[in-house]
Amino acid sequence: MRGCSSPEKLCEHAASLGYSGLALTDHNSLAGLWPFLAACKKYRLRPVIGVELTGAKEDPGVVCLAVDAVGYGNICNILSKGLCETGFVLERELIRHAAGIVVLCDSLSLLEKLKNTPVDLVANLGDRPTEQAGKLRQWTQQHSIPAVAVPAVRMANTNEAPLLNLLEAIRTNSRLPVQAETSSLSVCLEAPGVYWNRFAVWPDVMEETDKLAGRCRFRGPEFGIVMPPWKADGAENSATKSLRGAAYQGACKRYGTDLSEAVVERLEHELHVIDSMGFSSYFLVVRDIVGQSFVGSAKGSTRICGRGSGAASLVAYCLEITNVCPIKYNLYFERFLNPGRTDPPDIDVDFSWDERDTILEQVLSQYSGHVAMVATIIRFQMRMAIRETARVYGLPSGEISRISKGLSSIHGICGEPLLASLQRMPAMARGSLTDVWPEIIHLASQLRGIPRHMSVHPGGVVITPEPISNYVPVQVAAKGVPVIQWDKDGAEEAGLVKIDLLGNRSLGVIRDCIVSIEETGRSFDEEYWQPEEDPQTRAAVAAGKTMACFYIESPAMRLLQKKAGTGDFEQLVLQSSIIRPAANEFVREYIRRLHGGEWQHLHPQLALVLDDTFGLMVYQEDVSRVAVALAGFSHAQADGLRKVMSKKDKLLQLKDYQSAFEKGCAQRGIKPEIRAQLWQMMLSFNGYSFCKPHSASYARVSFQAAYLKTHYPAEFMAAVISNQGGYYSTFAYVSEAKRLGLVIASPCVNNSEIKWKKEQRKKSIRVGLMAVKGVAVETMERIINSRKAGKFFSSVDFLQRVSPPHDECRALIQAGALDTLACGRNRSQLFWELAQFHCLAKNKKSRSLFDVQFPPAPALQPSGERELLRQEYGALGFLCRDHPLVLFNRHRGQNSTRVCDLEQHLGRRVSFAGWLISGKLVSTKTGEVMEFLTFEDETGIVETVFFPRVYKRYARILSSGSAYMVTGCVEEEYGAITVTVHCLRSL
Amino acid sequence: MQDRAIIHFNVTDFAVAVERIKDSSLKDVPLIVAATRASRAVVYDMSEEAYGDGVRKGMRLTLARKYCRTAQVLAPQPALYRRAMMELVKRVRVFTPLVEQGVEDGHLFLDVTGTHRLFGPAPYIAWRLRKQLQRELGLDPVWSLASNKLVSKVASRMVRPFGEYIVGAGEEQAFLAPLPLSMLPGIGPKEIQLLADFNLSRIGQLAGLSREQLQVAFQERSSSLYDASRGRDGSVVLPGKTGDEHVTRGHTFAQDTGMYAELKSVVSILTHEVGRILRQRGLLGRRMGVVLNYSDGSRTIRRTTHKGGSDNDFLLRRLALAALDKAWGRRVRIRSCALVCDRFLPRSRQKTLFVLSTPRQLQQEKVLSAMDRVSRRFGDGMIRLGTAF
Repeated sequence: MRGCSSPEKLCEHAASLGYSGLALTDHNSLAGLWPFLAACKKYRLRPVIGVELTGAKEDPGVVCLAVDAVGYGNICNILSKGLCETGFVLERELIRHAAGIVVLCDSLSLLEKLKNTPVDLVANLGDRPTEQAGKLRQWTQQHSIPAVAVPAVRMANTNEAPLLNLLEAIRTNSRLPVQAETSSLSVCLEAPGVYWNRFAVWPDVMEETDKLAGRCRFRGPEFGIVMPPWKADGAENSATKSLRGAAYQGACKRYGTDLSEAVVERLEHELHVIDSMGFSSYFLVVRDIVGQSFVGSAKGSTRICGRGSGAASLVAYCLEITNVCPIKYNLYFERFLNPGRTDPPDIDVDFSWDERDTILEQVLSQYSGHVAMVATIIRFQMRMAIRETARVYGLPSGEISRISKGLSSIHGICGEPLLASLQRMPAMARGSLTDVWPEIIHLASQLRGIPRHMSVHPGGVVITPEPISNYVPVQVAAKGVPVIQWDKDGAEEAGLVKIDLLGNRSLGVIRDCIVSIEETGRSFDEEYWQPEEDPQTRAAVAAGKTMACFYIESPAMRLLQKKAGTGDFEQLVLQSSIIRPAANEFVREYIRRLHGGEWQHLHPQLALVLDDTFGLMVYQEDVSRVAVALAGFSHAQADGLRKVMSKKDKLLQLKDYQSAFEKGCAQRGIKPEIRAQLWQMMLSFNGYSFCKPHSASYARVSFQAAYLKTHYPAEFMAAVISNQGGYYSTFAYVSEAKRLGLVIASPCVNNSEIKWKKEQRKKSIRVGLMAVKGVAVETMERIINSRKAGKFFSSVDFLQRVSPPHDECRALIQAGALDTLACGRNRSQLFWELAQFHCLAKNKKSRSLFDVQFPPAPALQPSGERELLRQEYGALGFLCRDHPLVLFNRHRGQNSTRVCDLEQHLGRRVSFAGWLISGKLVSTKTGEVMEFLTFEDETGIVETVFFPRVYKRYARILSSGSAYMVTGCVEEEYGAITVTVHCLRSL
Repeated sequence: MQDRAIIHFNVTDFAVAVERIKDSSLKDVPLIVAATRASRAVVYDMSEEAYGDGVRKGMRLTLARKYCRTAQVLAPQPALYRRAMMELVKRVRVFTPLVEQGVEDGHLFLDVTGTHRLFGPAPYIAWRLRKQLQRELGLDPVWSLASNKLVSKVASRMVRPFGEYIVGAGEEQAFLAPLPLSMLPGIGPKEIQLLADFNLSRIGQLAGLSREQLQVAFQERSSSLYDASRGRDGSVVLPGKTGDEHVTRGHTFAQDTGMYAELKSVVSILTHEVGRILRQRGLLGRRMGVVLNYSDGSRTIRRTTHKGGSDNDFLLRRLALAALDKAWGRRVRIRSCALVCDRFLPRSRQKTLFVLSTPRQLQQEKVLSAMDRVSRRFGDGMIRLGTAF
């Protein structure tokens, strides 16, 4: 935030000015180290690595440069102490870690303090001879200390000044224009001759500067691969032996004691590769972490989902790090680990979302001092850039939100100025983008990609054999965990092997569902649970009845399953991976080929690679395998291509790969049109994509969820809603539960738990107290705790024992949670009792001398049915018994069709009353905006398509959670029903 | 005790009515009054046709235009409305000195109790005045007559935009009973919500609760609700309530601004206008307030005081800028700003025996006096201090 030019841009500029080397000294940070080293390599510059260090706020700072590897380690240690420890004294730490560091200082007082210490001092005269610089120089001459010229560069070119001002305003939380004193800091890098001229009066200063650059020989850390340490009780190489023992032990547990040849062969192969690459300890450490979670869980039913490329390893499967058999599902180990792979692969493990933090805490405490989380550098994306810029311009937040909401749908439209794209948005009111907006959008476009702040990676942890601050500066994140200053790419460049410990809500859903089943006395055998073999579950998946099931609940996925109609595990693995933002046409082609449509490989050599996927590139590894097979890429090169594909802002890097691919294919005589088609298919991996092992791991969890939904719908839906999250709102899940034939019992202070739960009677779910909007967790806990002493027998008893705040109790009454305590009284009278209770409480608070004598309650009439429903909807966000569309019955008209009957009107134009539950904006190839919307009524759920012209007409009246009369044509494709909407009106 | 006779006059959509008098071609056109030059303007007033299309006061102009596409939008002219209000007051004061007026909104309360022998019965006064206002000003106010301000105001609401209503003494409670609670002046949305919980939606249902019962639900507000629901209101008509206790000058930016320099310049101009009014009236202002209206609709007011008071533009500007610095704390742009000068002292007409002012102050006074003369002769804004640019 203190500079606006990327290391790459700075290096390019420096090289163009004729510099031979450059130092990057960020403020208290080494976060830019790896991009800087890469840029120096690209522009053939000699990197000088350092940092600008500051102590306490009012103390002067210094610039530290690393002379050698020892100095680098010392800089990391000083920086870590400064960022993590209170009572940090810069001078003391500089003296303590003086080896290998040159300290540049522009403060006479600090120079005086450090002059007779081991610190290698140099005076920093700034970028020009000034009065202050003169004094410094005089002092250095008296004490025989060198003085050098150091320009504080914040941008490469002067034309970046508006951007720097903007950044400064964002950083200091102020308005534009920024004050003059901050503007004056805008210094750009001048040519060497400019500085020579400026310091012509003191030529020795420039000579010393050159000498200093020559002294700093350190060219970047070279740690090799840094594995987490694993210590066993045994002798040397025990990690290898221990892993072998554990793997075989696990294999016997998974496959029985009589291991097949395939298993042994695969195990031996993997163990050999793991050992030769030195990854044994890594596997054991991950196993220990996963193992600890089983032991540490109070519930005894902790579940994990090992995912990512690590799921391709049989050893990981045997160590119970992953749950999918790589032999059965033909998962290639080489995707995870192969002798040619130069970067360290990582193992990702999902834990239940509410247990992940505990596991992380255990790891952080067990490896204290040697462990930290990986950082994420948050960069300005378009939405954030526009928001921040607009704030600096002083626009009100409401207006900023209105404009930035439209951004998501135009993400990805390339080649058109953002302002023009925004102006074409149908949801954007005419004249919204006048005034200062064009200027804001122009500036914000330039902000894109600049680092905003440092955050913590969702689950990446690095464990090192030596103290971690010897490798990388560590700081404390806002949530209190130690975090390294590098993101995952930086950590990978440095060779630090990362373990991903992530949270997953669906694992919590499955856990809670099974606990709920077992609570009712039924047994559930998890050990031999094979949900993918269950015919009913497969039928449900084939019919797309997977709403609320992990990863396969979105409208696009449900439609794909319906169209595929297979319901088997292998196809689900494929489907989980083929649904990608840029792969729509390949999804259609997949369905066609799946249903027997004719096809042939684009090139005969692809038969070996893409036979399982109908000749289509589906998984990440397909990209690399095709590149190897057709373009003669090396494995490392192909892996690089795969990685670049999944990154943002990759256009430039891709160009190199594209030309290499074209060249390689051409050498093998592949026709240009085939090359173009293949490259187009590769581009569909834009943004995100999965490897097969990852898809298989997810598909396993999806099948588990689908099994539970099919056989234990009440327990499952209760767990889904209780764990929150998911693709849809609670409202949509409640409707789905009703469609499954479940009764939704109103919340009740005597019967509801905090979470939703299955009722004793079959097919009924009791709404949890958590569903009542505005009720605090403390109040819910008070209700549950008070109930332990006996159920509430009246509303007065409830009020006295729980003492809920007025607003919260009001919400509970509106939700119907006190209806069972009403004893024949209506809700109006309950509200009166609440008023009396609070009047009494107020009186007690004011310590009135007199007892309050309440007058007789007025004869309050009950509210009408409609008003009661309105109150219930307001308090819960859904209706327990009815669908909110019943409130609009009189507006629905006689010709209205029910959603469940739509399939009887194929090809015809129909009208139906629908409740909008979700939508997904997309842009067409021509850049027009259209939307897929999901509607439901009491009988079913239907996907609709709003093509650009229709969407443009109705975009402004579309809002989630509203009722509409939808008119359109019913269409069917491979058994999946959709409605192409022609017109719409609000009910 | 004699029953009071309170007449309430309400010129519906006052700003629109005044604009239509000024330009008769606007008579049948839907109108919205809003700062047209401001990019994020809000509706100041609207005609009945625009109201029918869903336009409301305070609504964003862009949204209002969407609701009523045929509406013509006019910029507000507060000075014109102020003049029209003064004309109204001038005519009604002939009948009673007890006239309470709203702020440029066309609302007037007249207490005509005991004027029967002078001007005839109260309904006759109201009827006569309405005719007079129609004839002389072209304004057609709604009027209502009741025994207190509260009931007369509700009665006006009943008949707007055109008509008249008389609530006889003793009929107040029966008149209010069937009306929805939202018609009752002084009752807030939270109180309406609480009453809705008890399934009470009419004023009569509220009146059905005893004082003790109301005490349970509304505590300190119970007494006023008890009286209001029964049509009781003992408040008196306060003549001169919106008198000249302060001098206000404001400015709405053509485009919301985040530039301190621009705001500073506007404050300088406004200070000069305020100072000139003070000098004309022979007053010294002891307190200067800056009112900032932000783009998002929120408002901040900050004040600075000067013990001795002043009418010197230079000192007033210093006070105003100090208040401005205190007021502009948010990172949101400013839509309009206003200066409010109050706590006046009369300027002594007697010259002091001793010269207390510094030579610089004397020079400043001479400059200001010369500027005032230029302004009087050539009009406002013809001469300004350099700080205003």
